[in-house]
Amino acid sequence: MPQRYDAVVIGGGHNGLISAAYLARAGLKTVVLEKRHVLGGAAVTEELFPGFRFSVFSYVVSLLRPEIIRELDLPRHGLDILPLDGTFTPLHEGEGRPAPIGPDGEKIGTGDYLWRVNDHGRTVRELRRWSKVDAEAYEEYGQLMVDMARFIKPILSIVPPDPASNDPRPLLPLAGLARSFQRLTERQQAVFVQLMTMSAADFLGQWFETDPLKATMSASGIIGTYQGVRSPGTAYVLLHHYMGEIDGAFRAWGIPKGGTGGISNAIANAARANGAEIRTEAAVARILTRGGRATGVALESGEEIAADAVLSSVDVRRTFIDLLEPGTVDDDFTAEVNRFKFRGSSGKVNLALDGLPSFTALPGEGEHLRGAISLSPSIDDMERAYDDAKYGHWSRKPYVDIVIPTLVDPSMAPPGKHVMSCFVQYAPYHLAEGLGTWDDNREAFGDAVVDRIAEFAPDIREKILFRNVQTPLDIERTTGLTEGNIFQGELSLEQLFFSRPVPGWARFRTPVRDLWLCGSSTHPGGGIMGANGRIAAIELLKAHGRKVA
Amino acid sequence: MAGPRGRWDAVVIGGGHNALVAAAYLARGGLHTLVLERRERLGGAADTSELGPGIRVPTLAHTVGRLRSSIQRDLGLARHGLSLIAPEVRVFAPRADGGAVTLWSDVAATVEGLRAVSSPDAAAYPVFDRRVRVLGRFLDELARSIPPDIASPGLGDALAGLKLGRSFRGLGRDGARAILRILPMAVADLVAESFESDALRAAIAWRGVRYGAVGPWSAGTASVLLMDGAGNDGGAAGETVFARGGPGALSDALVAAARAAGAKIRLNAEVATITSRDGRATGVVLADGEEIQARSVVSGADPKRTLLGLLDPVALGPSLGWRAGNIRTPGVVAKVNLALRALPRFIAAVDDERLLHGRILVAPGIDPMERAFDASKSGRWSETPVLEATIPSIVDPSLVESAQPGTHVMSVVAQYAPYELGASVGSWDDNREAFGDAVIDVLETVAPGISALVSHRQILTPVDLESRFGLTGGHPMHVEAGLDAFYLWRPLLGHGRYRLAIDGLYLCGSGAHPGGGITGGPGQNAAREILHDLGGRRR
Repeated sequence: MPQRYDAVVIGGGHNGLISAAYLARAGLKTVVLEKRHVLGGAAVTEELFPGFRFSVFSYVVSLLRPEIIRELDLPRHGLDILPLDGTFTPLHEGEGRPAPIGPDGEKIGTGDYLWRVNDHGRTVRELRRWSKVDAEAYEEYGQLMVDMARFIKPILSIVPPDPASNDPRPLLPLAGLARSFQRLTERQQAVFVQLMTMSAADFLGQWFETDPLKATMSASGIIGTYQGVRSPGTAYVLLHHYMGEIDGAFRAWGIPKGGTGGISNAIANAARANGAEIRTEAAVARILTRGGRATGVALESGEEIAADAVLSSVDVRRTFIDLLEPGTVDDDFTAEVNRFKFRGSSGKVNLALDGLPSFTALPGEGEHLRGAISLSPSIDDMERAYDDAKYGHWSRKPYVDIVIPTLVDPSMAPPGKHVMSCFVQYAPYHLAEGLGTWDDNREAFGDAVVDRIAEFAPDIREKILFRNVQTPLDIERTTGLTEGNIFQGELSLEQLFFSRPVPGWARFRTPVRDLWLCGSSTHPGGGIMGANGRIAAIELLKAHGRKVA
Repeated sequence: MAGPRGRWDAVVIGGGHNALVAAAYLARGGLHTLVLERRERLGGAADTSELGPGIRVPTLAHTVGRLRSSIQRDLGLARHGLSLIAPEVRVFAPRADGGAVTLWSDVAATVEGLRAVSSPDAAAYPVFDRRVRVLGRFLDELARSIPPDIASPGLGDALAGLKLGRSFRGLGRDGARAILRILPMAVADLVAESFESDALRAAIAWRGVRYGAVGPWSAGTASVLLMDGAGNDGGAAGETVFARGGPGALSDALVAAARAAGAKIRLNAEVATITSRDGRATGVVLADGEEIQARSVVSGADPKRTLLGLLDPVALGPSLGWRAGNIRTPGVVAKVNLALRALPRFIAAVDDERLLHGRILVAPGIDPMERAFDASKSGRWSETPVLEATIPSIVDPSLVESAQPGTHVMSVVAQYAPYELGASVGSWDDNREAFGDAVIDVLETVAPGISALVSHRQILTPVDLESRFGLTGGHPMHVEAGLDAFYLWRPLLGHGRYRLAIDGLYLCGSGAHPGGGITGGPGQNAAREILHDLGGRRR
């Protein structure tokens, strides 16, 4: 007599685990099935090289919803987020302004840099070095963005309505939104519209003139997208930066102690504490249905698990094309799913270092290495990296976002050694004809990344003990993310809110009764946010007349 | 003549086609209306000019098929001399290899031709065409509607909202969902959903990027394509309609209609400032110092020029001033007008002259278009620009009737040529001829020998468009047609209802909803609102 569950959750990524935790918390007999030996999906920590532990894919956190941290009591279950202070943007010699002069009257390094920290006063002083106008605009801009973030935050927990439906009830949350929109000043309203429609570069250009500042800020607009900083629709993501809430403080970024796997483990602990069962190396082969209704899943081992509800935290294409028998959903829906765009554009290079690299713009070790190091000297530079990718080539001079977790969490490597996490754009999943496969390009791509870093920190090469390159193809193979898209589907305007993942099916339900989506393919999209998993669970509980607890 | 105490009801700044449409409607509504044109000629960008002895060309715009039919009817433009020519061929897109894609006004003919290109595409074309028309009908409703007043909605706004809501639901469940998904899309993605042939994709996608500082991969270009076909017979192919005598003939008809309705028109009358008192427009002052008083000032100039160039900064205020300064006007279009000693021979059209009757599009594929755009992003003009050419003299010999026999004129819209060139590139004066050569070189690839036929050539760079037509940034659409300047927030949120900045000041040009192109839409909509405010007779 096989096990029977109230709910089975496909995939042990952060969203799957969060859904499970909420369902178990409400008293549902819940099991999570993860195909890998390790939990977390793209939020995992693994020892890729003896003694060196890496956040293999996702590497920083800022968006994890505070209500989730609160409701699941994650700190008690081991969540510990260490603040990541500042963003350091090194420049080439002759780029921007001449190298700054130190107190001793000596030139500091070669080439200039832009270094923003959480200490607002220090950042403004640094900006004044570049442009008085920008230094002043920075204050105003920051305040405006915080106002915007406050306004937009509720959207993250809304269940998108179907605009084509005649049932007005789902529209109610929008009415609330409309009221708070009314309360904004005309300028704030206008800026909100711009955020939703403009390119990051154009948007920032309204306040700032300093190229490295615009380039570095705009970078957050293109993370994980197949767009350039000049592409319309990229401004919106700038807000995420200001929505990051750690201990309630706006704008703080951090890295979890023990790597991003630390988040997944904390959520898993919370789920278990609430009574959820979690199985690893339990790959789901098929979603079982009877009469257009999901009845459970079959594992690759052949084992069948019956459940009243199936929640899929894997992406919409995996769910409906790979895991469901063809013909279970009608052709129109299938066509929409196949139309959903993934087009992974990011790569990751994980380095084990013998010691810290030295940047020519600001030589030696120091505070500037403790935050993010952004290789984004200019808007044109960022845009050129995208232009390569548009035509199916990985960026020859990529944008790289570097973090050295060992500086805030020494436990990640042996004493004196370091791990370096390099997030890279662009690495298009679909390579141009003639370029071969990603298996043919992996090392060349890795070399391009190291060369790019070496432009600013030439000694990086002799510091490297071990290099691990994650191409979009590798990300797909390991995590199952279709086409290696880290957000389970492009966060382009036409794939947001009530069009995510399929117009008319943005409410976590699917055409198959009792089959639910709870991953990043749903509103409000990707990133270690957890909103998807939480709202999906709550919607399911409501549908079953259960108290959310 | 002016109204009581020499005060006009409405003084219209500029004599472009939208300004003339607005003036005609205002005069018909019984308002004492005066049009002030800076130049010695009317029509703005809808103009025909002399390229050589007896040789006349469309100066900037070359087709007029998007003009609202209601305007033609209301103003009796046919009676006032407008005669239209609509060739069977809409688009002929030849390639250097002798292949071509041809879009006819007759969908069946297009399908017939597409069979040779790709049978799946031939099958998909009518479906795509129908969808474009269905969504276009809804967008036409949107284009005609006055964006609601969200600050203090009135009954009219509610009713308009209901009306729109009804036609939105009229799209049906799938149509309604589709349009919301499609509007923000990149046009390259939209055409890729239906067609496999890159040549066909490009031939259709062009209208999504035409006149814009965007490439086919830019988000929001799908909405530009749909808006282009809204309110006209464009469909997937897009309209191709000529005014006999060139676009200037349309302006002449509008002038006649406006005058017949009682509007007064003055040439060589450049407006220097818009005067205002206590936050209300009171009239204008001309460059020569003459003051003209009016109950309302209606600007056909672009919003940036209107707000920053003509309005008193104090009346404008710092916040709105900042927003106006950030209105995006990145012109990327140059116009090349050629006189040819004989009709050029296109490799792909050796035996069929009819193919040259419509718009001749040289845009070999999506990526080549995008690459042409890439150059403009960093302040360089494209060495292989995308071209939309017409040879109006084939279907309208009147353009060359007093020229050497065999003479033809070719009107070429060339993208991408950015208004702002990079420091290393130099000024447009240094680059004008080189760009003209690049355009001819591209034409040579599809029509070998054409360069030898050129007897006269005129190159209008974005800088020239600015100085000649007063288009800020040389942008033919007044304001970039992006999602950030659409409907309720074109040109600016809170000023998207033709009422601009201060009481009594109105915008009636392409910078207002529903945007640029020879449609007359902004002028017609604006006139409606002005008559409403000033209590004129609406008919």
